[in-house]
Amino acid sequence: MKRNRFKRLATTIGGAVVALGTAFSPALAQETLVIGTISALNGPGSEWGRGVDAGTRIAVSEINANGGLVVGDTTYMIEVKSYDDGYKPAEGVAAATRLIEQDGVKFILGPLGSASALAVKPIFEEEGVLALMNSYSPQTLANNPKYVYRVLPTSVEYVDEIVGWVKENKSDLSKVAVISPNDQTGWDSQKTLVEAYGEVGFEIVGKELFERSSVDFQSIITRLMATSPDIIELDTTPSSTAGLIIRQARELGFEGLFVKIGGPGVPAIVEAAGKEFAEGTIVYAAADTSSEKYKWMEEEYAKIYSPPMNAFNVFFYDAAHLLFASMQKAGTVTDVDAVRDTLVEMTPFDGAQGTLVWGGMEDYGNNNQLIVPTFIGRISDGKEEIIDRIDAN
Amino acid sequence: MQLLIQILMNGLMMGLVYIMMALGFTLIFGIMRIVNFAHGEFYMLGAMAVMILFSTLGINYFVAVLLAALLVAVIGMVIERLLLRQFVGRELNGMIMTLAIAITLKAGATIIFGPQEMSIPRPVSGVTEIAGILIPNDRMLVGAIAIAILVLFYFFLRYARAGLAMRAVAQDWEAAALQGIRPQRIYLLSFGIGCALAGLAGALMAPIYTVSPFIGDVPMLKAFIVVILGGLGSLPGAVVGGLLLGVVEAGVATFINTTVATMISFALVVVILLFRPAGLMGQSR
Repeated sequence: MKRNRFKRLATTIGGAVVALGTAFSPALAQETLVIGTISALNGPGSEWGRGVDAGTRIAVSEINANGGLVVGDTTYMIEVKSYDDGYKPAEGVAAATRLIEQDGVKFILGPLGSASALAVKPIFEEEGVLALMNSYSPQTLANNPKYVYRVLPTSVEYVDEIVGWVKENKSDLSKVAVISPNDQTGWDSQKTLVEAYGEVGFEIVGKELFERSSVDFQSIITRLMATSPDIIELDTTPSSTAGLIIRQARELGFEGLFVKIGGPGVPAIVEAAGKEFAEGTIVYAAADTSSEKYKWMEEEYAKIYSPPMNAFNVFFYDAAHLLFASMQKAGTVTDVDAVRDTLVEMTPFDGAQGTLVWGGMEDYGNNNQLIVPTFIGRISDGKEEIIDRIDAN
Repeated sequence: MQLLIQILMNGLMMGLVYIMMALGFTLIFGIMRIVNFAHGEFYMLGAMAVMILFSTLGINYFVAVLLAALLVAVIGMVIERLLLRQFVGRELNGMIMTLAIAITLKAGATIIFGPQEMSIPRPVSGVTEIAGILIPNDRMLVGAIAIAILVLFYFFLRYARAGLAMRAVAQDWEAAALQGIRPQRIYLLSFGIGCALAGLAGALMAPIYTVSPFIGDVPMLKAFIVVILGGLGSLPGAVVGGLLLGVVEAGVATFINTTVATMISFALVVVILLFRPAGLMGQSR
């Protein structure tokens, strides 16, 4: 008798559990959302490329750790597929094709670097894949792209401000030599810099281009030294390469100022140049590296790649969050047009370093450029010291 | 004039490093008829070894450089014995095998050390000024060591028993074997010495440049240009080719730019291949 009663009770409880499970199953539906990253993960400049991948992955880990991305009735665990393009257009195209054709990805962060970005732009536009990328070329946002958005500021967004700052604070200096990588990124950023320095009255005494694989700059520096520059502007030179240039120039007797209004990366500059030689270098700082959020991000980065983390990480962390927030608001992870239309309405958006807004109409004829706060830094005792800040408006 | 001397010095310093790379490369080819595409990776291993020994473990720099070269020699000898011995004299197969070794070593280094560029402290710093010509002390040290190694290498090949045996095998391994020389031992020794020279170049240049799994690519390319210029398999050719490439590159890069300098170094290769296929000092076989 007792046994029968127990059986009935067990059956009742079991039935209730099954019923509850069935009743709540739509809310618990869990799926996987795959997004892609394309960037240089190896070789010179890969400290920036790893920022694309790691920034995205940190944002994804944060969301997955909180139970996933809730879009409508579905919770998505996010998976990131990463491909290395080595700053090369052919590899960028191969990566984009694999992500779209094989992995079925509709949302991509990257590529980073003009050569690769310009090569994949037509693919994204044709395939209707939403890309949050970076490239220093103005061509990235030319012809009003529908699916290509730039989430990093380029020289256009911050050069005038920083060059103006140099003019105001280093008024005794007048001759500038610019050294840039010999590719689309370097050509475009050098052109912007030369114009900006020229506009405020600096004399351009040298415009140098070098191959990205170069590690020896004695010849270039020997020629530049003959023009007696007051400032050597390192532009978008990869950070560790910039460190080598600083060191070799100091050894060949250059006593002027180094300025680097291009990709950030003070730790790599100091490591390659040495603390003593890097001292006083004025840099474009993508983020306030002393902030708590930045320090937290560095800890997270160390779980993915070897430190030091590059500040580019912050842009792609923010871009990933902006994308996921847009998906949530649009209520879809498959309708790219709906996500895109929501994305452009999402700003002002609170990023890791301050407010982000879409802009760029004046320079590119559309608002596909994310405007972010800009920081001016100075290398002091081997560390980056923020000496000024320009907010997005 | 001062500028010209400065350019010449820049070129000579680079030329000496090219020679160290090219000597090992051409030695291996001359004796084993193997085009060692993994030569750049042995350069990288030398740099990685000195990074660990000097920068991480704090061993004296000169000892670390010596140990790094020895370590790379041992790695090279193990690779020769296990993977390359059967391809001696079979150029195409050997080439493909060394290509596979290069990719594997690079991938292995990427897994262990990561893909990023790393810097190591410099054992010497400062600049020496001689009659208005500035020479960084670290480069001068590398130049001095490179010259010492070249002299040592010359005497080894000319007077040491093993060196004479190596030259004999390079000329005719069958005749050498009839004289009691064991070619297999000479292959092992040559590959070890060739790798040690590449490792030494990497170990010496590591504090001057940056270190990453990919640093061997450019020196490998330069070694290739040098041996084509000098003559594949010719040791004096490697010396002449190395100095020629270093000085031409420095001159063109200073007066025009680095892109044209790279173009001209390859144009030189084209001209040499067209009009003197065996190189400046090589002998046609």
